[in-house]
Amino acid sequence: MSVSPIIALFPEASFGAALNCVGIAQELQRLGATPVFICHPGFTGVFAEYGFKEYHLYEATPSSAHEAEDYWQSFISNQLAHFDLDPEAQLPTYVGPTWEAIVDTVEAAEEGLEALLTRIKPDAILLDNVIMFPAIIRAGCPWVRVVSCAETELPDANVPPYLSGLDPKDRLACKRFEKSYLKATDSAHRRYNTFRKARGLAPLPAGNFLETSEHLNLILAPTAVRYDRHIPLAEPEFVFLEGCVRSETRFDSPHFPVEDGPLIYMSFGSLGAIDTQLIERMIDVFAKLPARFLINVGGFLEAYQRVPDNVFLGSWFPQPSVVAQSALFIHHGGNNSYCEALYHGVPSLIMPYCWDGHDNAQRAQATGTGLNMHRSNWTDGELESAVLSLLHDVEMQRRLKGISEAMKAVPGTSRAAMAVLDCIESNMVAD
Amino acid sequence: MADTRRNARQNHLALAQQIINIALERAMKAGDHLPEKLFSDDCGVSRTPIRSAFRLLEENNILYRREEEGYFLAISESDELLQAAQALEGMEQTLADRILSDRAERRIGDVQSVSALARKYNASRHSVLFALKILSQDGVATQLPGRSWAFQPMLDSPKAMDESLAFRLILEPQAILAPGFAVDSKKAGILRGRMEDFLTIREGRITTAGFMRIDTEFHCFIAECSANRFARGTLLAHHRLRRATQKDTSVPDFRLRQSLEEHLGILDSLEQNQFDIAADQMVLHLRRSRTRRPEAANRGIPPLIRRPRA
Repeated sequence: MSVSPIIALFPEASFGAALNCVGIAQELQRLGATPVFICHPGFTGVFAEYGFKEYHLYEATPSSAHEAEDYWQSFISNQLAHFDLDPEAQLPTYVGPTWEAIVDTVEAAEEGLEALLTRIKPDAILLDNVIMFPAIIRAGCPWVRVVSCAETELPDANVPPYLSGLDPKDRLACKRFEKSYLKATDSAHRRYNTFRKARGLAPLPAGNFLETSEHLNLILAPTAVRYDRHIPLAEPEFVFLEGCVRSETRFDSPHFPVEDGPLIYMSFGSLGAIDTQLIERMIDVFAKLPARFLINVGGFLEAYQRVPDNVFLGSWFPQPSVVAQSALFIHHGGNNSYCEALYHGVPSLIMPYCWDGHDNAQRAQATGTGLNMHRSNWTDGELESAVLSLLHDVEMQRRLKGISEAMKAVPGTSRAAMAVLDCIESNMVAD
Repeated sequence: MADTRRNARQNHLALAQQIINIALERAMKAGDHLPEKLFSDDCGVSRTPIRSAFRLLEENNILYRREEEGYFLAISESDELLQAAQALEGMEQTLADRILSDRAERRIGDVQSVSALARKYNASRHSVLFALKILSQDGVATQLPGRSWAFQPMLDSPKAMDESLAFRLILEPQAILAPGFAVDSKKAGILRGRMEDFLTIREGRITTAGFMRIDTEFHCFIAECSANRFARGTLLAHHRLRRATQKDTSVPDFRLRQSLEEHLGILDSLEQNQFDIAADQMVLHLRRSRTRRPEAANRGIPPLIRRPRA
């Protein structure tokens, strides 16, 4: 191991994973390691702004800005309707095609990734993704799996199926979902296993695209929302982080013409921001409520006119700093968002779009840390009532205060960084 | 005369807000002394307006005064200081400010009639006209034929900010390279000192608003030193628009500090008359500032980047 071990962090091309890894990298740097990032196309500069060296995977055939916009426009028109479906109905319409696209990404990245890892010569690799890239196992150094989705990503008899949004007690529904999931992912999975074989890796069981690491697995799920597993995940291979909240720029709340009322933050992530019609509908309801709203509208700010006096729109917020000041967080159930809400003791109104958003929405409701609400099927009165009830739920606020204190006692970012360095050291001893 | 008094009060209010921001950035505590000289240097003004601003803060129970000793901070919690800053902002807002702020927050549309604005703000037509004329001086609003006014593009969206940076990439290096660029050494020294002070602020405490203020001052300084009158005028107008309408964007602490270091590097080259190098450093600085996050990203989909890269 070098004096300052080089840790290559490889998050998937989504903000949740990317920013989660930034939090861990900040702590690794503080502990004397040298974190570097391997970036997917499009994420160039995102990590450099936090002061980290970047290595870039290039697209074989880069698409023009115009083509990328066309792609997203078509994605919006084709997929928005699917986000209204229940998790099982989303399997053939959204989940299956997404897995196909993820396998495409792995195949396209493999050669470039192998070349980058040869160049970087890392002492360890952190993979924050939902699928294995064979070049990582072939790199010959310890690799760490970061489970930054909901805990459901790691199957167990007592845990509901991944992406199902189901209650684990509903055995019948769980069984039916599992069957549908295997069917929806079958084609992508077969293709992926063929690719793994060609790259010298053993095949994975049906429905599984990523093995656990024999070295270290970091799991974000905080104790308060964790399942009682049939087969517990034991240390030292499995380390629970109690969330993984990064430090961000200080946020000074803007001046509202209406200065009364609690502050509510709403963000459905960059994907959710594409549904501008839905957000406009929500803004109409918010205009009548005695609260102030900060809304992340991503790259679509220009789609909005006539913003009410108690609403402020932004294209990007330093989310952890904003959540810390909020009385309520309305989000899509992204695991980072949910963990940030728990970390700061803020109730969640989860309106899931897809993927593990459904799992976190179900879990928030079951653990009394928030409410699960359909993202678009509501009346004005129902949305108003959900917001007000969460603002006035003293019992939930008390529970969340305790959760927040426990999570802040040992921040997940430090726990992750220390576990990674221990893992490198113990691997050295074993060698 | 009434206008002069009002303008003076507005200047004191703006200075008072600046003082609160400096106190926040320095993580000052209740009971800490506010030295006049330090704040006069930090704010780039003489001690007289600083005293007036201190008095205003005393009237609002943010500072207290001890005979022969000066002014001290009365509150220390950052939340309280932020609330105090917001309360001052409310006092400061003229009708022109309110219109501008509402426009920047997309609360009013692109084209407005005087009577519609008079109704919205419960103000006389004369006051609205006066406010619109102030805004037109800053290039924010333009009178259309008839009684309507159109608002000019503002720096209120990622796309607009990207276009602003693209425009500045064309003009700011040229403003430096135009023959006759003359550095005002005294002003450069004050700016340098303030930026160096900023860099001593502990991690995570620099506010984006505080950074924006010093950033526009630095870029205005570059424009003012240019000998090309048209480049100077155009850039100053654009920086006024930035100062008035650019929404605070959240920039990670590392990049804020890197930006300040880049400013200092440009100043070094300018003071050594290495204008070619300073212009190249400006290109690098603006290109780095133009690096943007993808507008949308999700697993299995190529990230959406709608703006062309510089």
